[in-house]
Amino acid sequence: MRKLLLLALALAPVLAFSQGFQVNLEGQKQIGMGHTGTGILQDGASVFFNPGAVAMLPQNYVQGGISPLFFKSDFNPSGTSIQDRTANKIATPFSFYAAWGPKASFWKLGLAVYTPFGGLTDWGNTWQGKYVLESLDLKAIYFQPTISIKLADFISVGGGFVYNRGSVDLTQAIPLANSSGQPGQAELKGSGKGYGWNAGVYIKTEAGITIGITHRSQVTTTIPNGNAIFTVPGSLQSSFPQPNQFSSTIPLPATNSIGFGFYPCSKWILALDVNVINWDVYKTLSFDYTKNTPALQDTHSARNYTDAVSLRGGAQYKAKDNLALRFGGGYASTAVMDGYVTPEAPDANRVYGTLGLGYTMAKHLDLDISFEYEHLMQRTQTNNESQLSGTFKTNVYIPGISLAYHW
Amino acid sequence: MKTFKQHIYIIAGLLLLGACKPEVNTPKPYHGSADFTRYISIGNSLTAGYADGGLYLDGQLNSYPSIIAKQMQSVGGGAFTQPLFGADQANGSGYLSLTGFNPDGTPITTPVTTNLAVRGIQPIPGFGNVVLYTKYTGNINNYGVPGIKLLHIVYAPYGNLNGYYERLLPGNSPANSTTYLDFVTAKPFTFFSNWLGNNDALGYATSGGAGDVLTPKDQFSQLYGLLISKMTANGQKGVVGTIPDVTSVPYFNTVTVGAVLGAVQKANPTVKALYINALVSGATYAPRAATAKDLIILTFPTGKIGQPVVTPYGTLPYGLTPVTPIDNQYVLDENEVALTESYVSSYNETIKSIAAAKGLAVFDAFTFLNNIKLHGLVVNGVSLNSGYISGGIFSLDGVHLTPRGYAIVANEFIKAINAKYGSSIPLANVSDYRGVKFP
Repeated sequence: MRKLLLLALALAPVLAFSQGFQVNLEGQKQIGMGHTGTGILQDGASVFFNPGAVAMLPQNYVQGGISPLFFKSDFNPSGTSIQDRTANKIATPFSFYAAWGPKASFWKLGLAVYTPFGGLTDWGNTWQGKYVLESLDLKAIYFQPTISIKLADFISVGGGFVYNRGSVDLTQAIPLANSSGQPGQAELKGSGKGYGWNAGVYIKTEAGITIGITHRSQVTTTIPNGNAIFTVPGSLQSSFPQPNQFSSTIPLPATNSIGFGFYPCSKWILALDVNVINWDVYKTLSFDYTKNTPALQDTHSARNYTDAVSLRGGAQYKAKDNLALRFGGGYASTAVMDGYVTPEAPDANRVYGTLGLGYTMAKHLDLDISFEYEHLMQRTQTNNESQLSGTFKTNVYIPGISLAYHW
Repeated sequence: MKTFKQHIYIIAGLLLLGACKPEVNTPKPYHGSADFTRYISIGNSLTAGYADGGLYLDGQLNSYPSIIAKQMQSVGGGAFTQPLFGADQANGSGYLSLTGFNPDGTPITTPVTTNLAVRGIQPIPGFGNVVLYTKYTGNINNYGVPGIKLLHIVYAPYGNLNGYYERLLPGNSPANSTTYLDFVTAKPFTFFSNWLGNNDALGYATSGGAGDVLTPKDQFSQLYGLLISKMTANGQKGVVGTIPDVTSVPYFNTVTVGAVLGAVQKANPTVKALYINALVSGATYAPRAATAKDLIILTFPTGKIGQPVVTPYGTLPYGLTPVTPIDNQYVLDENEVALTESYVSSYNETIKSIAAAKGLAVFDAFTFLNNIKLHGLVVNGVSLNSGYISGGIFSLDGVHLTPRGYAIVANEFIKAINAKYGSSIPLANVSDYRGVKFP
């Protein structure tokens, strides 16, 4: 008669593609200049930054780069002197571009493969928030074929189609102890796809200023058949049926950008970008399990993101014909309102600074290196849903290197 | 060679990146106006770390005073020694373990009877048999004694009647005559926690109002005053806990009248009600139909319902007629609940007013556990409530707490201490502590 009801256990996986997951690392030349590139023309990375500008590229490009990302987050639970830190794991955002067209033609074709969203966060299985999240490995790889057309000497347009291949691997502890007192484990692992597009226009004004305007569409990514793996004490396994699948849909938001390029003298380029990211599409995160039990219900967690803005600026100084020095920085507002901050990417307003060096190794070959430091403002939060309460502080260090061949 | 050197620099640079750690600056832990050099805890089973219907090593190691003491280390707290059972007798008094579930989802609990610390049985004339446990010799900071009431603290023969107390005393039952109050105050201390008083109401309630009596309100108040005067005689500071509403524990809320009646009606739809022997007033009891306001205890053997009972009116089913009501010991009926609540409320007034007069911190366990019963509690992503087993806070006996429950209570005590004395004892990490163990 002592009826046991385990349904109090609401297992709510957290998964928020927040600003923290927007990986602004799409080209070493551009990173060096504060990740500007909408309103200026540097290399094949324009396929990402402004498909409208590609037709204006004086040469054809094949290039690739990688930006190992060190994400270092610290959590101080409220009322304690504990410092919980993420493990040293290195995410590897990369980019690959090709832009080609006949010499002196009015059109160019482009192809881009890049990682605009992703995250690798590992808090371990002993920290305060282990029942919220232990680790998350999230990747989104965009494939983008593009065409760009020069309408006149001063204006070109372009657009591309985006196919996204996304994957997620999330682990969290389940607060059900086995006979030796160890908690259970949940792992949600799967991959899915989404589609989108982007377009841009690039203008050279008579005043010598260049202007770019782009729109990158929302890419709604669905994971239809992820594996939901639950390790719980044997007597409760029937409440967490195995094997089990989950499905989930996440809208990767649209981004609107305007960028400007200024050329005060032949050695200098100054660039300015403004982005508005439409995070407000992200209202709810739902996980739908194929097999439900009273203990394992579908979850619907409020996210209620707001639109975010980022401001970026940068400069390039051509010290020699074969050597360019770059620097830049920016500010990005957070999309995550108070009460919704979660540990997989503890988001906050952020500032960042960048440095870059470009070296032309041979007539057709550029070597570019970049370094970015991001600082997320310290943020003290109590999450509405998990009541996890404490202060997050995050720094990100991103070195990067790329090679570009052009002809 | 040159490129090799460059690589070295790059690798060294990357390693340096790996070394820079963000750090949230926290205020240095501070003891405030309290002195935690020698902290002692007094109280009953909850203080001793009793869980799953027994006192055993794992429960002792997760007692709330031991958790508080661990957190006090950073603000000048000294060593905290508990009267632990030895590793070879780790199961102490024995306890219940969850060994599975019946097909209907009800849990199966099995007593653990190996590696006990039982030393013998001492018959006490006029009282009964007292189970004696292996003696503990050594320092004691945690004076929690399962079963003790505030009523017993100045009762000299108590060291012969309670095996858990006898175990801490140098002498053997039945020759002891040290009162609990003298025992705990024999050595100097600088800070104390006191959570005595639960059993003065709970003893009556868990026996369905049949096997024990409520400590009279004026006696409670007199003894509590005496206790606190003695504990603060040398200006010691401390924290006290109020007494939880007995109806906030799963012991009284798991086997409900509705659930039992529903099960009976499934087998026999003509049954209209369960009958209990209920308190009318004073010491007068009369049978009546049970309502949802009558609380059946967790350990009621539901199989008794409907069993034939021979009466002067013929053979009648147990619990289903006014002639064969459920025994009083299994039910805390509505009037008994009200009576208990009025005593608990009076006890708590006493506790709060004496604590206020002496400038002590108060953990209001009554309000805290009632809030959990009404609204649940979410801690670090874990949903908790007052439910039996699934709730995560209460252990298998339905009254005492799991390690997770004790950690939550320890944090509430710490918050009360910090608020009163301006200290900053860091809170414990509740996520490190488990709920009920499942097979």
